[in-house]
Amino acid sequence: MKRKMDPVDVVIVGLGAGGGPAAKVLSEAGYKVVGFDKGPWLRPEEHYSGDELKFQNRSYLWPDVNLMPRTVRSDDKSEARIFNFSPVPSNVGGGTSHMAGWMPRPRVSDFIFHSLHGALEGASLADWPYRYEHLEPYLTKVEWSYGISGLAGADKGEGFRSKAYPSAPLPPTSFGKKFYEGSNKLGINSFPLPMSHLTEGNALGRPAVNRTSFWNQYGDPTQTRSSVATTYIPEALATGNFEVRADSFVREVKVGKDGKATGVIYIDPSGLEIEQDARVVILALGAIESARLMLLSSSNKFPDGLANDSGLVGKNATFHEYIFAVGLFDRDMEDPLHGWTGNYQSGGSTHFYETDESRGHIGGGIIATTQIGQAINAIMPGRPTWGQAMKDADRDYFDYSMKIGFILQDMPQETNRVDLDPTVKDAWGMPVARITNKPHANDIAMSRWQIDKNQEILQAAGAKKTIPVYLGDEFTGNACHQQGTVRMGTDPAKSVLNEWGQAHSVENLFVLDGAGFPTALGVNPTLTIMAHSWRCADYIANTYMKGRSERLNLSPIKKS
Amino acid sequence: MVSKADWEIAPIHIDPDTTEKLFFTDHEWDTIEAAAARIMPTDHDPGAREARVIVFIDRYLSGIDYLYAAADGSGFLQLADKDAHAARARNANMQRLYREGILELDTKARELRAPSFKEASDQIQDEVLEQISGAPKPVPVSLTSREVYYSRLQGNTDEGKSFFDTLCLHVRQGFYGDPVYGGNKDQMGWKTVGFVGPKSLKDTMDGTYSTAEFFIQEYDWEDLVPGFKHSQDPTSNQQQNGQ
Ligand SMILES: Cc1cc2nc3c(=O)[nH]c(=O)nc-3n(C[C@H](O)[C@H](O)[C@H](O)COP(=O)(O)OP(=O)(O)OC[C@H]3O[C@@H](n4cnc5c(N)ncnc54)[C@H](O)[C@@H]3O)c2cc1C
Repeated sequence: MKRKMDPVDVVIVGLGAGGGPAAKVLSEAGYKVVGFDKGPWLRPEEHYSGDELKFQNRSYLWPDVNLMPRTVRSDDKSEARIFNFSPVPSNVGGGTSHMAGWMPRPRVSDFIFHSLHGALEGASLADWPYRYEHLEPYLTKVEWSYGISGLAGADKGEGFRSKAYPSAPLPPTSFGKKFYEGSNKLGINSFPLPMSHLTEGNALGRPAVNRTSFWNQYGDPTQTRSSVATTYIPEALATGNFEVRADSFVREVKVGKDGKATGVIYIDPSGLEIEQDARVVILALGAIESARLMLLSSSNKFPDGLANDSGLVGKNATFHEYIFAVGLFDRDMEDPLHGWTGNYQSGGSTHFYETDESRGHIGGGIIATTQIGQAINAIMPGRPTWGQAMKDADRDYFDYSMKIGFILQDMPQETNRVDLDPTVKDAWGMPVARITNKPHANDIAMSRWQIDKNQEILQAAGAKKTIPVYLGDEFTGNACHQQGTVRMGTDPAKSVLNEWGQAHSVENLFVLDGAGFPTALGVNPTLTIMAHSWRCADYIANTYMKGRSERLNLSPIKKS
Repeated sequence: MVSKADWEIAPIHIDPDTTEKLFFTDHEWDTIEAAAARIMPTDHDPGAREARVIVFIDRYLSGIDYLYAAADGSGFLQLADKDAHAARARNANMQRLYREGILELDTKARELRAPSFKEASDQIQDEVLEQISGAPKPVPVSLTSREVYYSRLQGNTDEGKSFFDTLCLHVRQGFYGDPVYGGNKDQMGWKTVGFVGPKSLKDTMDGTYSTAEFFIQEYDWEDLVPGFKHSQDPTSNQQQNGQ
C-alpha cells in the first residue's frame, strides 16, 4: 500500500551536520525542501540534562546496537561481527546534538595530499577536486552563523582566514593550563581549540555557553552549544519552505528511466511506506549510511547500487581514530587538575600536522587536551576494576589526571570499505552496513609517534606516569568520524562525485556529508562537512537549479 | 508509534533506603550487596553498601521502568515500540546473567567451605571474585610500571560483558551515577572522589549548576601562547603565514 506525497524541489535525507546547512541554504533561496531523519525530533530544553548514565552508558542518544547494528571485519576472509562501529546519534541534529565540539579548520595541505606525497604504497591518496581557497569563504560563513569561538592567529600554521572568530574562547581549564605549560617547555605552538559554542560578549548576540561540563556525549539543554537542530534547522523552518519529517526512515532512492533520481521511498512513523518525489535528492546520512543507502538503491540502470558505475561506492572509507595518552600527577605536589570540568577540551595544537618524513610516516593531525569525564567513566586506562585498589585509584587520580588526545588521520585504502551485510538486518528489516577495515602501516606509525609525543608533553607538564593508548589492529570507529565512502574527484572512473558533491552519473543526486572527502583530513571533520555542504548547496541553488552547470579549473600545484 | 520525543514520564521516585525488592529475592539481594561491598569497599569513605548500590542494581534489573530518568529527574521515561522491545530483550538477558552469576558465587564459596557467598569472610569473598574474574585481585596503581593500551569505543555500555565485568561496571554506576537512579546516596560516591556534581538533574538544565569556578580566572593568551599578539580589531588579526 504505497502512498505518494506532493512533489517538492529538494529532498534531504539526514538532518545532521551535512543536511542542516543544505536545508538552510536551499529553503532560504526559495525552494520547497523536505528533510527526513530516521530518528526523533528531540526538544533540548525538555530532553537533555547532565545524566552520565543515560547519555554515556545507556543508549538514549547513542544508537542502540540492537536496533541499528553494524558489522565489522578486518578483511574479506574474516567473519563480520556485530559491533557499534562509528556510532552517531540518530535524531534531528545527528551528531551535532552531542558532539564534543572541536571545530578546527582544515589546512591548505589537506586538499592536495596526493600532489604533496605522490603515491603511498597500499593507499589510494588523492587530491580534492577543489582547494582550501574555494572552501575558505564557507568556513567563515559557518563560523559566523553556527557560532564558534576561537582565537584567530594563535594557530601559527593555519591557512588564510578572511575574518576572525565571532567569539573569544573560554578561559583555560586547570588541565588546559598544564597543557600550555608542557607544550611551551617543548617549544610547541599550542592554542585554545575552536569550539562550537559562543562565549560572553560574542558578536552574534546569542547567549554564552553554560559551563556544566556535561558536554561530550550529552545533549545540551541550554541550547548554547551550537547544533544544527538549534541553528540551521530553525532558520530553514522560518522561511516557510522547509518541512521536517522525523522518525521517517528512508530506505531507497528511486531512479527513473532516464537514470535520474526521482525521489525517495520512506517508512513513516506509523510504518507506512511512502514515496516523496523531488527534482533534487541530497544524501547526508553520514558517510557509512549514505553509502549503504546508495547500495540499497539498486535499479536496472544501476544494478550495483545508485551511481555506482565506477564500483567505488563504499570504498576508501576513513574513520580517524581517537587515541590519547593520560598523565597521572602527584596529589601531594600539585593542585587539582579538575579533569572533569571544561566543555570537553581546552588547549590544542597542530604543531605536528604537516608531513615530516623524519618521523617515519606522512601526514599528521590535531591534538588537544580534553576532559577525562565524570566519575563513572573517568578515563584512566588500566585502572584496577575492583577492590581497594580501584577505590584508591579513583580517589587519588580522579582530580589529578589529564589526557591529550589525537585525531588520527588514516590513509584511504580501497579495501577499507562499507558494503551490505549478507545476513544482519536492522529494525526496519534492511541489510546493515558491513565495515571492512585494517589500518595502513602509516596509520600505525603515526599512532605510535604522536602518542609518544603526547606522553612527552605530559611529562613536561609534570606527570609522574603516562599511559599510552595507541591504535589497535582494527579501527573501532571511536572518533565517530566517517569519510570517503563516496569519493569526490574530477575523473568519473576514479570517483563517484564531482567538486559540487554531485554524482558524475546521476546529475540530480548530491551527497553532502563526509562521504565525498577523498582524504580524511588531520582535523575533526564537522566544520569542513558543514562548509562543504553550504558550498555545494549554493551551487545547487544558484547554478544547477537554474539549468546551468559549471566546472572548476584548478591550477597545477607548485611544489616547493 | 510513540516517538522518543514523546515518551511519557512516570512520576516514580526511588528511595535509596528502601528494602523493598523489585527483582532480587532476599538471598540474591544480600549476595549482590556483599559482592558490591568487596568491589567498592568501605574505608574512611563510604563504599557500595552505604551508597545503596544494591537499590540501584535491583531497580535496573527489575524491567525497563528505571532505564532512563526524565531529564529533570521528575520520574522515569516510558519507552515505547522498537526501543521498548529491544530494551526488554536486553533486560531479560541481564536478569539471566545475574541469576546465573549469583548461583556461581554461592557454588564457588561452598567449594571454599563457606555456607554461602554472603556468609563468607571478606577474604573468601575476594577469593571467589578473583576466581570468577579469572585474574588476581587488582593491586594498587604503580607509578613506575609501564602498560600499553589500545583504543576503544567512547560509550561504555554493559552489552556483551561477562557477569563479573557487568557487576563491576554496575557497582561503579550505582556508586557514581546520579542519585535519581537509587545509588550514590547523598552523593557519597561523588564526595569520595571530589566530584562536585549538581544538587539535582534539574540544576543542569538551566545553568544553575556550573563549573565556571574551576576554570582559570586570571590568564592572558599572550602568555599561554607565546608569540601570539592580541589584535584590537577582531577582523584584522588574520593569518599571513599559512599559504
Ligand atoms: C560523541 C561524539 C563526539 C564528536 N565530537 C566531534 C567533534 O568534537 N568535532 C567534530 O568535528 N566532530 C565530532 N563528532 C563527529 C560528528 O558528529 C560528525 O562528523 C557529524 O555529525 C557528521 O555529520 P553528518 O551529517 O555526516 O552525519 P550525522 O550528523 O550523523 O547525521 C546523519 C543523520 O542522518 C540520519 N539518517 C541516517 N540514516 C537515515 C535513513 N536511512 N533515513 C533517514 N535518516 C537517516 C541519522 O539519524 C542522522 O541524524 C563527534 C561524534 C560523536 C558521536
